[in-house]
Formats: sequence, C-alpha cells, structure tokens
Amino acid sequence: MADHSPSTGQVEFQFNGKTIVAAPGQTIAGALHAAGEHVLSSSFKYHRPRGLLCVSGRCPNCLCTVDGTPNERICQTPARTGMQVKSQNAWPSPKLDVLRVFNRFSRFMPVGFYYKSMYKPRWMWPIWEKLIRRITGLGTIDPVHGGDGDYEKRNIFTDVAIIGGGLAGMQAALAAAEGGARVVLIDDQPGLGGHLRYDPDLVRAEWTELPLRTAANHRIEVINGATVFGAYEDRYLGVRQGERLLRIRAAQVVVATGAWERPYVFENNDLPGVLLASGAQRLVRLEHCTFDGPVLVVTDNAQGYRAARQLKGAGVTLAGLVDTRADSTEAIDGVTIHRGQTITAATGSSHVTGAKLATLAGEKKGTIGCRWIVQALGFTAATSLLYQAGCSLEYDPALDQPVVKKYAAGYWSTGAVNGFHDPQAASAEARSVGAAAAAAVGSQPVPRVVERPTSSGATAVEPNYVAPTSAKKQFVCLCEDVTVKDVGDAIDEGYSNIETLKRYSTVSMGPCQGKMCQAAAIAVCARHNKQTIAQTGVTTARPPDQPVPLGVLAGRGVQFTLVRQTAMHDWHVRNGATMSDAGNWKRPGVYTTVEQEYDAVRNRAGLIDVSTLGKLDLRGEDVSKLLEYIYPNKFANLPVGRVRYGVICGEDGIILDDGTVSRLGSERYFITTTTGNADAIDSWFRSTLVCRPQWDIRFTNVSTSFAAMNLAGPCSREILAKLTTSDVSAERWPYLAAGELTIAGVKATVLRIGFVGELGYEIHVPTQYGLHVWEAILEAGREFGIAPFGLEAQRLLRLEKKHFLPGVDTDALSNPLEADIGWVVKLEKPDFIGRHSLDRVSQRPLRQKLVGFRLQDSTPIEAGSLVLSGTKVTGRVTSSGNSPAVGTTIGLAWVAADQAHDGARFEIRVRDSNVPAFVHEAPFYDPAGERLKS
Amino acid sequence: MPSPMWRQHELKESYDVVVIGGGVHGLATAYYLTKLGVRNIAVLEAKYLGFGGSGRNTAIVRSNYRTPEGIAFYDHSVKLYEQLAAELEFNVMFSQHGHFTLAHNERGVTGLIERANNNRMVGVNSRVIYPAEIQKLVPHLNVFGHSRFPIMAALYHPPGGIIRHDAVVWAYARGADRGGAHIHQQTEVTAIDVHQGKVTSVRTNRGTIRAGAVVNATAGYASTISKMAGVPLPIESHPLQACVTEPLKPFLDAVIVSSTLHVYVSQTDRGELVLGAEVDDHQSYSIKGSLAFLEGAATHLLELFPFLANVKVLRQWAGLCDMTPDYSPIIGEAPDVKGFLMTVGWGTYGFKAGPASGHLLAERIASGKTPKLLEPFGLERFANDCLVGEKAAASVSH
Repeated sequence: MADHSPSTGQVEFQFNGKTIVAAPGQTIAGALHAAGEHVLSSSFKYHRPRGLLCVSGRCPNCLCTVDGTPNERICQTPARTGMQVKSQNAWPSPKLDVLRVFNRFSRFMPVGFYYKSMYKPRWMWPIWEKLIRRITGLGTIDPVHGGDGDYEKRNIFTDVAIIGGGLAGMQAALAAAEGGARVVLIDDQPGLGGHLRYDPDLVRAEWTELPLRTAANHRIEVINGATVFGAYEDRYLGVRQGERLLRIRAAQVVVATGAWERPYVFENNDLPGVLLASGAQRLVRLEHCTFDGPVLVVTDNAQGYRAARQLKGAGVTLAGLVDTRADSTEAIDGVTIHRGQTITAATGSSHVTGAKLATLAGEKKGTIGCRWIVQALGFTAATSLLYQAGCSLEYDPALDQPVVKKYAAGYWSTGAVNGFHDPQAASAEARSVGAAAAAAVGSQPVPRVVERPTSSGATAVEPNYVAPTSAKKQFVCLCEDVTVKDVGDAIDEGYSNIETLKRYSTVSMGPCQGKMCQAAAIAVCARHNKQTIAQTGVTTARPPDQPVPLGVLAGRGVQFTLVRQTAMHDWHVRNGATMSDAGNWKRPGVYTTVEQEYDAVRNRAGLIDVSTLGKLDLRGEDVSKLLEYIYPNKFANLPVGRVRYGVICGEDGIILDDGTVSRLGSERYFITTTTGNADAIDSWFRSTLVCRPQWDIRFTNVSTSFAAMNLAGPCSREILAKLTTSDVSAERWPYLAAGELTIAGVKATVLRIGFVGELGYEIHVPTQYGLHVWEAILEAGREFGIAPFGLEAQRLLRLEKKHFLPGVDTDALSNPLEADIGWVVKLEKPDFIGRHSLDRVSQRPLRQKLVGFRLQDSTPIEAGSLVLSGTKVTGRVTSSGNSPAVGTTIGLAWVAADQAHDGARFEIRVRDSNVPAFVHEAPFYDPAGERLKS
Repeated sequence: MPSPMWRQHELKESYDVVVIGGGVHGLATAYYLTKLGVRNIAVLEAKYLGFGGSGRNTAIVRSNYRTPEGIAFYDHSVKLYEQLAAELEFNVMFSQHGHFTLAHNERGVTGLIERANNNRMVGVNSRVIYPAEIQKLVPHLNVFGHSRFPIMAALYHPPGGIIRHDAVVWAYARGADRGGAHIHQQTEVTAIDVHQGKVTSVRTNRGTIRAGAVVNATAGYASTISKMAGVPLPIESHPLQACVTEPLKPFLDAVIVSSTLHVYVSQTDRGELVLGAEVDDHQSYSIKGSLAFLEGAATHLLELFPFLANVKVLRQWAGLCDMTPDYSPIIGEAPDVKGFLMTVGWGTYGFKAGPASGHLLAERIASGKTPKLLEPFGLERFANDCLVGEKAAASVSH
C-alpha cells in the first residue's frame, strides 16, 4: 500500500546552504534523513538539538523555514527542486547553536523564572525585554517577500462527512455509500490507508483493494492531503487542503481520526535519534530510508514487535528490543529481548549514542549502545475534533484514553479514536457506524449507546508515561522545553489546575498544541496532585487542530475586497474627479474646485451622483403601520405624491440614521437611507418585519437597482423641463412633491427635496440608464452653466443649511431632541421604537445640544476640536468649513445646554489657545428656505 | 520546594467582604482591600483563577479613551500597571511599545483628533500622526503599498502596550493571599440573600457564608449574579473572539488597531501574533470560536501586513463580554441593595482597568465614600441618562 516508489529523476534542494538530493516522492525530512542530516532545529527555550520524531506532521521537531515560509512541517512537505530549507531558532546552525548555552544554565531558568526576575529595578525590564524579543520566537518572517499564494475557497454540502481515511474511515465510507448516502472522505495524507500504509503486517488480503474501491465509488468523494482543523457549530467543518479552504456542511459527521503514538518521557527523550515507532515505519516504508546504525526498540505492545520485524526486514541492525512487560513471550530471531525493563535515559550530545535501561521499579540495568531509539509505548487517541464538536468524553482507565460518553447531534466516531486498535474489530465497528450514519441522514438525532472495546489491544494494561527514575531533562513538552520537574514545581507553586498549569508552565501551548505532550502532562499532573487521570481532566480543545495559514483563511479576500461603483463611475473618473471611499462605494470628492462647484449650485445648477443611498421599496396594506412604528414622526398622514424627512432611532432613542420617505401610492412607499447605513437599516426593517409576519408588507431592497442623482440650483427646473414633456412647474411640482416623471426617455422616481438648500430634484432611474440620464441632464444644463459637484462641495453646501449627517455630527449618544430636530419626535403617538427613552429625555432638561456656530474670522477649525467652558470640556466640533455665504468659518458643534442659545459665546480649543465662537440658531444660508421652496 | 502562590482554606461561616469572581477585578479588589486593612475577605471563583475574561482577553493596556471621565479612569489604571511588577514582586511583563489606532476614512480621522484633544486635556500622551510618521514608527505596516482602504492617520499612544495577563491575575492572587484574603476556587455562588434592602449572605456549592458586603466582580454572567441580589443590569452578553499564531521572531513591537478593518494585532514576548476583532453581533453565552471569525480576522490582518499570508494560526478562543449601552463599566454600590457592590459591565475593556477598578472600589468599600474617579460610573447613570459614551474608542480597540 505504499503510495510512491523510487523512480528516475532526482530532486535537488538546499538545506542550510548544503545541497541535498532527494528521490522523487520523498518528503524533505525523508531526504534529509537519507542524507544523514539528523539535527533539524533548535528547541524553543534551551536551544537543544532536535531531529525527527513523529514523521507524521504532529510534533514540533521538524519545523523549518521553507522558501521563506516559517514553521513548515518538513516531514509532510514533498521535496522539490530548488527549495531553500533552513533550520529555525538556531544560529549559526542547528549543530552549533550558540544559544545552546541556555541548556547548561537551565537551573537558572526554572519553570516561570521570567515571572520572578528582571523586574527590579523598574528601568531594567525594558532592557531585558529587548533582549528577550531578540531571541524569542521560532521562524523568521520575510516582511518583503513573504506571503504570496494562489488561495481559494470551496463550499461542500454532503450527507456524511468522514474524517480520516484509515481502515475505519474507508469502511465507514463504503458502508455509508452502500446505504445511499453521499459521502465526503477527508484524509490528511497523500493516500488512503492510515496505519496500513506503513505497517504491512496489519494488512489483511481483503483490505488491499479498499483504497481503490473507496476512490472508485461514485457516491464517495475522497479528498486527500486535507486536514479538518475545526469542527464548528452544526457540523460545519473547516478543512485546509494546501492553499485551499474547504467549508463542509454535513448532515452527519463520522470521526475516524485514529490515534497517534505518544512519546515516552525519559531523560534526554528529545535527543535526535529518538523516534516514534510509527515514525520509523514511515521512514522505511514511505520514504524508502534506512537507519545508519543500530536501532533499539522499546515497547509495551504488539506494534513494537511489528516495527522491529519491519526494520529488520529492511536490513536495519537491531541493538535489541526492550519490552516493559515481564511476562510477554513474543520473540524475534536474532534479537535480544530485555523483558520487564524500560528506558530511563538516552545518552549522547547531538545524537543518540546509547540507552540506559532499568526495571519498572527503577533498578538500573546498564546501558546499551545504539544510534537510534524507537519507542512504541502507546497511543493518544485523536479526540480533539470530538471535543471541539461538543461531544462529552470520559477517561477510560482500561483503554487509557478518553472515550465518548455522549455525542453532539449528528456526530459519530469509529476506529482507533474509540479505542479499537485491533484492525479486525475496528473494521467491523466502522461498517456498522457508516451504515448507521447513512441511515440517520434526514432524521432527527437520537441518543445512542456508545460501544467501546474492553481493552485496546494496543497498550500495556498499566498506563506508562514516564520513566521510573527522576532526572532533570525529562521532557514532557517538546515545543516549550517543559520537564517533569517543571510540571511538579508549578503544581507546588499552586498552579494545580490543569488549565492553570498549562498557562503557567506553557506545557502544550506550542506548535503541536498538546498532541505530543497532553497525555503525559495530565499523567504527571495527576501523579503530583495524587489524583486520578479522570479527576485531573483535560484542557479545552480549541480549533484549529492543526495550524492553518492566514492566507488560506483569508482566501482571495486579500486581493478582492469588494469595490462598489455607481453607473456613472467611469464618467466621474474620465472627468477628473478624485474618488473617495464611502463604505465599499467609490464616490466623487471633487471635480474642479470646491469653490467652482459651490458657485454652480448656488447660482446656476449642479448635479451630484447619489446612487450610493440605500433605497427600499415597500408595498402593502400595512406599510404605513410599519412606518408609524419605526419612525418617531408620523407617516400615516403622508399624502400620496409627497415626501417627508424621517429619522430612525434605536430603542434607546439614539439616532441611527436619517433619510426620506415618499408615498408613491396609497400602499406604496419609497425610502432612502444614508450611504453608510444602507445595510444596517435594511436589517433594521427586516428584523422588525420578521416579528410581524401577519402584516401585509412586501419589502424589497432596491439600492443597487436604481442610480440616483441630485439636480440642484436655481436653474434646475428649467433644465428638467427640457428633458420631460410633463409639467414640472412649481404648482404641479412644489417643494416635497414626489412621483414619477419621464426624463430623457427614462421613467424616473423624482423627489423634490434640497439637501443643499436650493431648488432641487432627486432623480432615481434604473441603474442601466443612470449614465444616460446623467449625461442628458448635463447636456441640457450646459446652456445654464451646470457643473457636476462632489461630496466636498455638498458637505459645505449642507453645512450652510445646518443639515447634520448621522454618524458624522451625531454619535452613539445623540438623540433627536438634543440634536435639535425635536420636531420629528411625536410623543403623542402611542408607540414607536425609542418612544420610551425619548419620553424620558423630554422630561428632563437637555444637557447638550447640537448647534451651528460661526467664528469672527476664517480661522480653520478641525472637526474633532473641543468646546470649552472655562477649562472644562463641554463638547466638540463635528463639522466645519469656510462659508462663502457668511464669509467666516462656520460649523456644527455639540455644546452644553447652557451654551446653546442664539448668539452665546463659547471657546474652541485650537492647538493650545482658545478661539471664540458664537451660536447661530438659524441656518446660515437662506434661513427662510425661500430658495428651497421656490 | 517552591512556596505556593496562594493557600487553600476551609470556607468560613462569615466574611466582612465576599468578592464573587476570581479574575483581575475580584483579586485586585481583594488585594487593595487588604492594603487598606480589611483582611477578612473571601474571593469566590466558580472554576479556576483567571478562567473568564482575565484569561481570555488580549492583554492590551491603554488610556487613550474618548471622554474626560474615561480617560482619567483608565490613566489611573495604566499608572498602577506601570508599578505593578515592583509592588507585587512578580514580573507581569508590561511591554509599553505604543498603541496605534488607524483611521482609513475622514470620519475615522475626526474621531482620532477628538480623542487626541481630549487625551491632551487630561494629560495623557497621545497624538494624531500621519502616514510618513506611521511608517517610520511601524516599519512593516502596509502604509504606502496597495490597499483597498489606505491608512490616512493614526492615534499614537506611546504608553499603550501589552502585558502578561495571566501573570497579573496570579500576582494579585498572591498579593491578596499574603494580605490575608481567602481564595476559594471551585466555589460557585448559587444565591445571594437580601434582607430589608441589605445583603446578608451568599450561598455557594460549598455552603452559605454571611457577608458584610458582597462584590460582584464577574464577567459574562454579571447580570445573572446581580439578579440573584435583585439588581437588574442593562447588560447584553456577547462573545468576543481572538486567535494566536505560531511564534515568530518579533517584527512588531506596537499594538495596531483598525476599526475600519475590524482587526487589531500585537506580538507577544513569545513571538506569537495575537489578533482579534469586535464582539460578535449576536448575544450569546457560547464561548466557542467560529470559522467566520478566523476568515475575517485573517483577511483584515493581511490588508495591514500582506506578508503574513503564510503564517499559521495556532488556536482560537472566545470569551464573554458584558456590554453596557455606553461602552463604559458599572462600578459602585447598587442604589437599592445596601452592601451589594459591583464592578461589572466591563465589555471588551475590563482587563486594562482591573487595577484602577480594584483600587478605587476597595477605597469605596473601606471608606464608604465614592472616589471622584468612580463617580461617573454608577448604575444610577442609566436612570439619570448621564452616559459616558466610549463606543467610538472601545468597539474594536479593546
């Protein structure tokens, strides 16, 4: 079942500047092993040399920087010609790391030492911290070239998702498919088979065709090389496949993630040359490697013997086999078996040179020379996705692993993750689970009895995590260099809860996220606290189960954040407009100069693109009822053919947005919102409607269906008249009229409103005719001296009219009464959103007020400047500008209520001096509104 | 054998002050009470110390708020944090490399100017800086490169930074323990007894305790605990999510926040990047992370630092935030229940305020008088409609 075999054509890559030759199909780690490069990295804290351990992408030891990408698991990365592979956290090289000196001073760096040092005197800490920040971290990121990728996302919906393509996963998939379900089978290796791929003695004849049969089944989609990293709410799976993010929503999920071998904790257990048995098997079987010296196998189970036979069969010299069980009888020809013993230490400095043995009671049994130590001392079930999904698990001492007590809805598990290590038993269980999962598709989840094996068949009866002798460098956590002694010390200091222990000692907080160390950490913690493993509990399993690159999560979002353009966008750009962002929209800021555009609007005519406004179409018998409820002012009495200003408040009476409401028919309304709040108001209406299903209302968001423009200025009526056959006289189309007109051959919804304070028409036409109507108006207006105007001129024009902008001139505490538009609040209405709060506000004196102000001169005032009363801050400036109509700086500001009467003087802080300002109650321009209503 | 940080005690029948919640607020309150001579104190923690927000926040400390009341309060906290390691003899690793709030549009810039002006009035060091200076101070930030929403300005707050949050919890716990307070973990409050408008006792899974005063210093469930004393709170609880990457050699010393892009990021002394966003928009008591959060946070972070695309996320988590209407906390005695005090409603900004709230609330309890800095934050402000509006300075920026 090996996936790749040596073929012609070699691959060459660089490792720390040295050329390495790899066989095709080999991973970087396999090639390095074959080339005799066994020291791959330096450890996080003590800079100890580290080499291959798990060879399955779980442990932290092989993390290298590959082509500039830090922290790559090179045992999972196929070698490619030209690759640059570099060791991390090691200078100048992992063999000669100068910071390895930390290893010799480790007694000065006990667990949590940094909490107890470096803070006295206070000024020393920044200096220490600078030093720490120079040596901390693992990989180095390239801030110039890092981070390109061809990212994409894919969504998958399926009946049954099966996680893990080992024997159990394949059998479950086939059984589910036979049951009629559509199945997605996800596996993180390049080929199906799990342990069968590298442990040939496990394979029975009838299973050899399983990968092919699974892949060929038309109901099963096999996704190889993909890691399920998250089991989110409602069977929503996050999966990384290379540079692709898969989002899978499944009716049923079968977790067949198996188990990985766990490292034994003994002195120098982190030395290069100490391997997991499955890692050694992978190197031999999948990477076609051998071992350059004698191998000592340490085991308490059948897998150790299988591994030993496999290595022997591949021509590897065995230094012996240590079996912790005194009563085992298994034998291998020509290999010395040391029964009833275990390993207590590895000897050697940068690579294993031998192993110290002892009985389980700790009686020393001497040293055996060897170059490799291969350990087969039990498994850790890959349960983290079950925990993530919300299943509850309990520790089963007989199986020495957590098993599911209660499944989350729609979840199943099978195989070694359930403790079935005997392939025959796992296979049978998986078929019944697969069939049951398929049968459960589309039905209500029912509580299930959880079947579990009586013994795992994988480990010794007595769980054995730690060597029976005590020594300094017995590493529980390889990522963080946490030793058995560290764990004990931390508990003695009071960090006895497993979660607190984790945070203080940092055990299981490194790149492997506890895969290698959590079981041992719990066992050591339990022993030290004199508790059972079950009482000790586990730390919370959090996604991602395997690290996921930010680029994969972001997808093409990196390059493709939505840009919204109006129908007239290209025209604006062609005609020299500066474009600015308004949410995701692009809007014209200014075409020529603010002065010229202002002049056109005030004296002739101007045209502005307002397509970005939110637009809602509401029809039905009950719309007026809805509007009465949503708006503080009245709408039921709005006549057909009229438009009215409206403010929407939250339940707290705070202004959310403003806009217009037009009644185009007795049961037909057209609503506009501001650009920035278009989505929020859409949701506001929808959530209000959801609670009133009995009301007759058809609600349609037509924001992007219509282009919109505002024709404003004294000449605008004459310009409009040129483009329509209808009567647009002041009598037929007075101020606040609303209705339909055909303009330049296009049916338009027209509102006679004037945000900028002039005679004006807001014209909405279907988006595809937007540019046509825009150009037609400009053409018709040419003889009058029309000019397009942008946001900047509009800001100034509206400021002269004292029209505020929600979110600019108001904030999360602004209510209509204090924003000086109390007239929109009709407290006599029995109910509307915010009524209760506004009623309370109306019964107290106002505290602050939004007022217009003018200076004595044209001193520029930044929005955001503070309003003072003496030295006390009483408010702030929200908008300001130099008004051509007034001849000085004007603006809007929040001031204390006692500063808010007409003509009152207040101070504005400008840099470190105060500038006097005077409240101006009326609009600065055309206070009677004659031009607007003309 | 190392000496324990805090001791275990039998639950006594009576304490002068019972503090509910073994996080930074509860432990700081207990610690400062012992300093004021109030020593008969119990701190009750349902799980383990720092289980809640204190262990889940992203450890940002700053005082560049928006209102004069808020700025002065958080400034007090920053100053206490600066002395904390020396005072508690525990290195809490306060890393003050500056805090940058970015603005990508005009409205954002105005908000920063207003904050800078207010900070200046209170004497807090912060100022608005523009792209060239931003680039100089944060060399690897994407200021001038291609960007959908280019950076227009930043509020630069030099005293801001990050701290080792768990260490703060443990240091206060040790300080409180040494001062005589009893810390009771795995002790869950099930009821609070109130008699004639005064709190009398607290019932727990380990028995009933008579109490002179009860302090609600919980987060996530603050409204549930207050309800036990008959004190309804204007609080909505929302999940807040964060994630952390694998350790990298440090390239980013400052805290970077962007409300427009809904993301903030810092790099710890371990080399991990910590990133987060604003609270989830729905109310929930779930503390599970979502994939949508990871996707969003990654997308937005890469706009600021495009070269991080190959950097891997190691784990994500969520905490609960008790949001008040004005994004400011509720501290003080309940108006209608004597002896029931609160330091709650800490939203997304509780951790940075722990020392100040503990310090001032202890003073309030010991003296019976409300310190000036606490005056604006009483529960009665909602009835009186005197809110302290910090939303603009606290929604993404925690």
